[in-house]
Amino acid sequence: MHIMEGYLPASQSLAWYAASAPFVVAGAVRIRKIVRERPEARMTLAASGAFAFVLSALKIPSVTGSCSHPTGTGLGAVIFGPSVMAVLGLIVLLFQALLLAHGGLTTLGANTFSMAIVGPWVAWGIWRLGRGAGLSMALTVFLAAALGDLATYLFTSFQLALAYPDPVSGVAGAMIKFGGIFAFTQIPLAIAEGLLTVVVIDALSGRVRDADKIGVLAGEAR
Amino acid sequence: MAISSIDCAAALNRWRGRPLAEKTLITAGFLILALALPPWPGAALVGAVMLAVTFGGARVPPRHWLSVAVLPLGFLATGALTLLVQLGPDGFALAPGGAAAAAGLALRSFAAVICLLFLSFTTPAADLLSGLRRLGVPSEIVEIALLTYRFVFLLGDEAVAMTHAQRARLGHSTRRRWLRSTAMVIANLLPRAMDRARRMETGLAARGWQGEMRVIDDRPAASGAVLALILVAQAAVAALGVLL
Repeated sequence: MHIMEGYLPASQSLAWYAASAPFVVAGAVRIRKIVRERPEARMTLAASGAFAFVLSALKIPSVTGSCSHPTGTGLGAVIFGPSVMAVLGLIVLLFQALLLAHGGLTTLGANTFSMAIVGPWVAWGIWRLGRGAGLSMALTVFLAAALGDLATYLFTSFQLALAYPDPVSGVAGAMIKFGGIFAFTQIPLAIAEGLLTVVVIDALSGRVRDADKIGVLAGEAR
Repeated sequence: MAISSIDCAAALNRWRGRPLAEKTLITAGFLILALALPPWPGAALVGAVMLAVTFGGARVPPRHWLSVAVLPLGFLATGALTLLVQLGPDGFALAPGGAAAAAGLALRSFAAVICLLFLSFTTPAADLLSGLRRLGVPSEIVEIALLTYRFVFLLGDEAVAMTHAQRARLGHSTRRRWLRSTAMVIANLLPRAMDRARRMETGLAARGWQGEMRVIDDRPAASGAVLALILVAQAAVAALGVLL
């Protein structure tokens, strides 16, 4: 869920930029290291970023009757690892703001934190936990993608609540209001994206050749 | 809407050739003013000035601009709705001053969107990214962003072609099928994207690519007078916004 341009007050826009910075810098340092060792990874990373952008332009049906678009957060975290996703996510969010007027420049820091940091880390954590606990592949992928989306949506509601606390019940009340109103679109989206990601991973397994080095890349990135 | 529609407009407008520094100074300055000044009259003034610059200066096609500008309105309407009500111990009630808060927020956000759209519609993303390199962003990251930008349109066209083919074969006839079809597009797109990346890498390596794309930049350097004029205009808007 993108926060639109100009929605957050100046002080909070800056604060979220500052909060995202360490994650993005860590991701950038890692990418520089990967690229120095294997220059061909540059192309792979660029194609992955473009892939994530194109995902968000596809339409999927949503339970409420409208249609929505996948975020690719869970899929990206499982395939590429969460630290690289912080940088790729930032690049994708920048292009979404510039090419689709989706999100914004002043809210780029806040959107990066919720969609390129919180979402991927939650998805990746659940993926590791589920694999470790011996859950089936399909269930783990579903939970990682769906809960990654839900974490993003809850965190965005929190960011909005922090910016616009309720006059009576404060941040907690505002969180219930924002969370409640966006639940209509976001919860069906999380379920749809979970199902979608299961089908994608299922179709991908065995199709991606070793030469693509996705697994290797993700391993190094982590 | 096609991914490339704003990008086309950015390459075709009258201010395409103007120095990058001028356009980014206009956008950044007014964006900061939209956020920092009180919504009325500050943000309203910023919005009015930026609309004049967008349509009078850069000659952005109004109809195209409008079709993009309505997209964030859905988020704005839902978000502003929550400011109208308050949640107390006895449930929801109309918030005192909620209407004013919601109107202020809407004004500020929309002024900021007008600033963002000015930049999107006048400056191709590739220009902006090369500007980032001059600001000291590591060249590896800028290169990856530039390559991403080039891949976006290639993969976008591929995804559109696949979706058309599926639609023509009733791939979207039920919700279940639709979800499955979209998953198939994604699962087919990723190996193709990787394959394309590898072929491009081989092709460039054969030509001795060292990992940096240098292109001729024949645009004139920004003149100090124009930049000063922009700053004066911004100071005037700031003064008016505070004093009025």
